[in-house]
Amino acid sequence: MVGRRWWTPWLWLAPALALLGVFLVYPVVDTCRRSFLDERSKNFVGFDNYRFIIENPQPLVSDTHSALLNNVMWLTLFTVITVCLGLTLAVLTGRVRYEAVAKSAIFIPMAISFVAASVIWRFMYEFNTDIGTVNATVTSLGGEPTAWLQDTGAPLTALTDRGPDTLPRPIQINNLALVLVGVWMWTGFAMVVLSAGLKGISTEVLEAARVDGANEWQIFRRIIVPILSPTIVVVATTLVIQGLKKFDLVWVMTGGRFKTDVVATLFYKEAFRIGDFGVGAALAVVLLLWVLPVMVIGIRRFQFQEETR
Amino acid sequence: MFHSKRSYLLLILFAIVAFTGLAFVACGDDEEEGPQIGTVDVLGIWGDEELVSFEAMVDPWELDTGGSMAFTGTRDITTVLTTRVEGGNPPDVAIPAEVGRFQQFAGEGKLTPLSACEGLEETVKANYPQGFIDLGTVDGTLYGFFMKADTKGTIWYNPGFFADNGYEPLTVDSTFDDLVALSDQILADGTPPWSIGVESGEASGWPGTDWIQQILLNEAGGDVYDGVIDGSIPFTDSRVKDAWEKFGDIALTEGYTVQEGAEGINATNFVDATYPPFESPPEAAVVYLGGFASSFITDQFPDAVAGEDFDFFPFPGGGVTGGANIVYAFNDDETTCSFLNDLASAEAQRIWVDRGGFTSVNSQVSLDSYPDPVSRAQAEQLAGAELFRFDLDDAIGGALQLAFFDGVTQYLANPDNLDSILTGIEASR
Repeated sequence: MVGRRWWTPWLWLAPALALLGVFLVYPVVDTCRRSFLDERSKNFVGFDNYRFIIENPQPLVSDTHSALLNNVMWLTLFTVITVCLGLTLAVLTGRVRYEAVAKSAIFIPMAISFVAASVIWRFMYEFNTDIGTVNATVTSLGGEPTAWLQDTGAPLTALTDRGPDTLPRPIQINNLALVLVGVWMWTGFAMVVLSAGLKGISTEVLEAARVDGANEWQIFRRIIVPILSPTIVVVATTLVIQGLKKFDLVWVMTGGRFKTDVVATLFYKEAFRIGDFGVGAALAVVLLLWVLPVMVIGIRRFQFQEETR
Repeated sequence: MFHSKRSYLLLILFAIVAFTGLAFVACGDDEEEGPQIGTVDVLGIWGDEELVSFEAMVDPWELDTGGSMAFTGTRDITTVLTTRVEGGNPPDVAIPAEVGRFQQFAGEGKLTPLSACEGLEETVKANYPQGFIDLGTVDGTLYGFFMKADTKGTIWYNPGFFADNGYEPLTVDSTFDDLVALSDQILADGTPPWSIGVESGEASGWPGTDWIQQILLNEAGGDVYDGVIDGSIPFTDSRVKDAWEKFGDIALTEGYTVQEGAEGINATNFVDATYPPFESPPEAAVVYLGGFASSFITDQFPDAVAGEDFDFFPFPGGGVTGGANIVYAFNDDETTCSFLNDLASAEAQRIWVDRGGFTSVNSQVSLDSYPDPVSRAQAEQLAGAELFRFDLDDAIGGALQLAFFDGVTQYLANPDNLDSILTGIEASR
């Protein structure tokens, strides 16, 4: 072989590296830099922008505390509900005759653009019962219509009966409504991946358990879930990242109003709507630092699986 | 070997061609903007009907000069404009509704003074009201002019319904108490007097700010109004608080709104809220929203006749607030200047006036140009107002504007927290 020089692999990597550099590395570095500058990125202000996030001085226009808490809510509630629902559906659809049809029906929302899905659900949640399917259903059953996307209330409990302040109540009705749309969109993904893992479990193991007298719940709890756990972790990691960087759904449905802001919508609003690039960049950095460990865990897990395969 | 060497060569050749091609395209762009009229890149907010009318208004300019307009319309104009200016790629001309960002750009020296275009500053100074000239002036230099104005002193009602029930439309001399009295009278007859909706996605709450600014101007006067804009009077001032409470008197009194109170008002889109008074039978008696509401009504009820099926009476108190689209430019090349001169001219504006949905502030556009009595009355109200002020939240802009919006939705949901809400708004200044 002639011509295989040390730079040959780099030459082939160059286009990808150039794109990564321009569209990923440079923006990340520049965002970090701007997070220490003032709103027009002119003067150095130290940690002022991060102090803004912690002290939350403008709770009406950019409620940083509420955004951070909402992100926590998204990454827990959204992930837990979607994984549980996906797993249940994977097990159940595996046992019906029209498996393909059932799975397709559940997977279809994944094929819709998220913005389109958000617009659809805006209509579903509409307050006017002539338009909003959800409220029409509620009222036909004798209930009162609810402003699903505007209601910041929560079922009254000792925890929630604090009245409005800079911190949102743990679970607001409108946040829950948004999370359910996210679940609707992502359950299909969780179900398909978990179902594939499920198919990989050898029937001998399950049969052996049945011979030993295990009931179906024990088989699910003690055999299926442990064997599936690597797949569950992969699905959960993907969903956690989705939950953390949620933007489209919130922006289209509420614009982050009525205390539904998440970090992604708030940094966009701060930087581009209000024009404060400092706080916007600081929020983006917070989000980045938050997503990083999750991604590292995900990649580690993936490498580990590749090695053991 | 030989084969792979040839592919290297090909790759390099391809790279060279691609780069020179790019450079060529870039150069070509520069060369096109020579002395004659080229393409003007315009960023605005219009779509649908309004865009068709705007294009009709620009058509004669394109025919006369051989130029063309590349228009981008977005509701998210502040965001798009900020991004493009920050990225060093501003449009030639921007036509937003908010002046807060305009003042910022002008202060940073990013805008072209109107005097840089031949004849433009003279046209504007000769034909536009002083109030609008002042608004377009930053640090003594005129940077922008206003072309499409909207009065926000209009309370829309159904004349047939009013006549059938013997209700009298209010006049310029009426007071806020008369408005409450009328509401009570209508309520006593069994119809919810008001239809109010403030939902507007990310900007939810702005229709409520129109209420508050209109009440503030009428009750507290122009000086207080200006003080709130320039910061010498905080939102926590008792006169401002009084305006909020008067808004609450209408929006939150039981039975006053067809939306049945705060939750419905916050959840009802401002466009949908204009329909109930004009349904048959009417579900509400009146709706307060700016002059642009007439187009929502005629879109929903295509057979509705202006002046017969829908009409407006002035918001009681005599003062009038209003919004307008400001036009400003980021460069002074010949195409841009020629385009601006056209937009500022009465001839061009008459085209849109004639098509409907456009109120001009150019004094050369006579009242006869308006196609129906309702749009003429709007123009009259704007031109003849004894006390006129530019839309309060559009004048302040930025974070304070968004806080004002959020304050409205929070006030409706929790009226008892008004004091802390006003403190919160002021904290965003």
